[in-house]
Amino acid sequence: MNITWKNITASAVLVLGLPSTIMAQETVVWWDFLSGGDGVRMKQLISEFNEANSGDVTIDATTLEWGVPFYTKVQTSVAVGLAPDIMTYHASRIPLALKQGVLDEITPADWEAMGLGEDDFAAQIWDGVTGSNGKIYGVPLDTHPIVLYYNKDLLGAAGQLNANGTPKGMGSRSEFTEMLQAIADSGDAKFPLGSVTADGNFMFRTIYSLMGQQNGELLTDGEFLAGDNADKLINALAVLQEWTNAGLQSTYTDYPATVALFTSGEAAMMINGVWEVPTMADMHAKGKLFEWGAVELPVIFDKPATYSDSHVFAIPAGSSQDPDKRAAVLKVMSEILNGSLFWATAGHIPAYNAVTNSAEYKIMEPNATYSSLTANMIYDPKTPLAGVAGPMFDVMSTYFVPTLNGEMDPAEAVEKIAYELNDM
Amino acid sequence: MQRNFKKEALTAYILILPFVAIYVLIFVYPTLDMLRMSFTDSPLIAMPNGQPIENVGVDNYTRLLRDRRFDTSLWNTTYFVALTVIPGTFVAMAIAMSISRLSGRLQALVLALFFMPYILPVSVVYRIWDWTMNFQFGIAMYFFDFIGMERVPVFKITKWFMPAVAFVTIWWTAGFSVLLFLAGLRAIPAEIYEAASLDNAGRWTTFRRLTWPLLWPVTALVLTIQLILQLKIFDQVYLFSQGGRVNENLVMVYYIFQRAFTNDHGGRAAAIAVVLFIIVITVSVLNFQLMRLAGGRNS
Repeated sequence: MNITWKNITASAVLVLGLPSTIMAQETVVWWDFLSGGDGVRMKQLISEFNEANSGDVTIDATTLEWGVPFYTKVQTSVAVGLAPDIMTYHASRIPLALKQGVLDEITPADWEAMGLGEDDFAAQIWDGVTGSNGKIYGVPLDTHPIVLYYNKDLLGAAGQLNANGTPKGMGSRSEFTEMLQAIADSGDAKFPLGSVTADGNFMFRTIYSLMGQQNGELLTDGEFLAGDNADKLINALAVLQEWTNAGLQSTYTDYPATVALFTSGEAAMMINGVWEVPTMADMHAKGKLFEWGAVELPVIFDKPATYSDSHVFAIPAGSSQDPDKRAAVLKVMSEILNGSLFWATAGHIPAYNAVTNSAEYKIMEPNATYSSLTANMIYDPKTPLAGVAGPMFDVMSTYFVPTLNGEMDPAEAVEKIAYELNDM
Repeated sequence: MQRNFKKEALTAYILILPFVAIYVLIFVYPTLDMLRMSFTDSPLIAMPNGQPIENVGVDNYTRLLRDRRFDTSLWNTTYFVALTVIPGTFVAMAIAMSISRLSGRLQALVLALFFMPYILPVSVVYRIWDWTMNFQFGIAMYFFDFIGMERVPVFKITKWFMPAVAFVTIWWTAGFSVLLFLAGLRAIPAEIYEAASLDNAGRWTTFRRLTWPLLWPVTALVLTIQLILQLKIFDQVYLFSQGGRVNENLVMVYYIFQRAFTNDHGGRAAAIAVVLFIIVITVSVLNFQLMRLAGGRNS
């Protein structure tokens, strides 16, 4: 409230008293979809930027509804020429955005102006913002994978903690299942694993990670689940169904209920996005949470792999070609990237290498513990059908939910998924 | 005084012009454009630098014949209409008749209680029932536990989904129909009931011979409103499907939304919209004729 009033007063002063300052000032219209704990942090970054650059560049930020509403609004606004100057985007949506023609290229000259380039980002992250034509369409802010959250008290009581406080059974399917069983046997937790089994959209992240652990791919040469990829999806679903059937994970649990099961100590572990880190950290700071940790996903199959996506900054197609405006937009992007150590407190892993290589980041917990997974990240297949809230989501969700809860055979689910995906 | 018909006509045209202009702009033109779009492979929003739009003839329509999701949405819409229109009307009628037996402040209070859900926005209705029926923490689940019933994740199981959403819809919208029925009941003169009781007519006979036929115009109105409303069902199904078994819960408007907004297939979405448009018109006309016939028999 304070800040808002200050801003209002400040702008009133500008409008009324200092017309000359307005002439030199660039206002950058900004749209994002960050409304959770990360949204709070982004607003702080924005107001810090505005203070540091007052009289020069001002960000005029609006937060919109995540998902389909955001992306539809972007598409409409670009069509009628009322798009913002800068917006947040999901790397996974870039292929669809290119088909729709809503993004402007970030040119080599832009990169030079920002003092950034390919070498400043991990290979998968850079690949995520590269279009099929080889051009670059986004400035990666972060990568936000899923991780395994665990309750140290419950795992400790079940004898499932290593000396360094990490969970024991992370190396194989049988090890992990044994750990779940041991927690179940200890009788302290209602569910060894809290799983978002009522939300197939969410579970896509886990299931796709498990496919990646078998080197599986969703899309090869324009065909979904070709060859043995279908079997790999069956394997991934089968292991999750096995945990359900053995009573080792929560069933028909939606997203908020999963978080509630974990934070209330009813579920000993939970696979969820890194964006829940602030929830845990804040609760723990208030003394309302047990000792907790977050680690890279267990290796259930052949090799470690974790699904991730990136928040990126993008410039809408048809944006102003005015060099001053462009310079202001680039300044916003590079400065926020430079300040993304603070963004990491939202749980996300900053994309900018200079930040993740810094000494401050390396002691930041739990980020430092799970940062190792950046070497094993997999991103969505590059197709206009993929991406957050994209067409693939509804198909997957429809068959994941019954399978994860033991209503449908994995093989039957995969057959239907393959049919529907190839029929879109 | 000599009336100037020419001048009066001109005045009339000028007076209705604003309405006609707006009607053409926001209804006629979009409808015609939708029809045109349904014969193309247009995306939802055509961008100057996007893909070129081609004419595909009736492809978008013939495709629907072998489209699994279209079948699902057509069936679910029919099922939903069957679950809500007639049951909802009778529930509202029953509530209205019970309320009309009360009087004074008590009647106002009970009416307010039944009307309350109707003023809620759909998002709130969704939240209330989603929390009530939440499989892990929902209050209804503790009730199930208490009476020894097994917990049912109603919005996540296909078999339960439509009946559950239909139930919520009736709970939500019955209030308005109750008001209409109450007005209808009050319009029936008390003398008629007095005469019936003098003739020793039982309750059932009174209802069948008096209340039902005299209330028929209102019943027909409620049925028609409900029918058109429920054919266009979207909000509740969309909200309760979030993250769940979307493609098994599809209704027609949801499928139009999915095609247009998620899949970015403007042309194919337009084709489904045209089909729905034709269905709504046909059913409404049939319904109206049927009501007229039924009304004619009674009067």
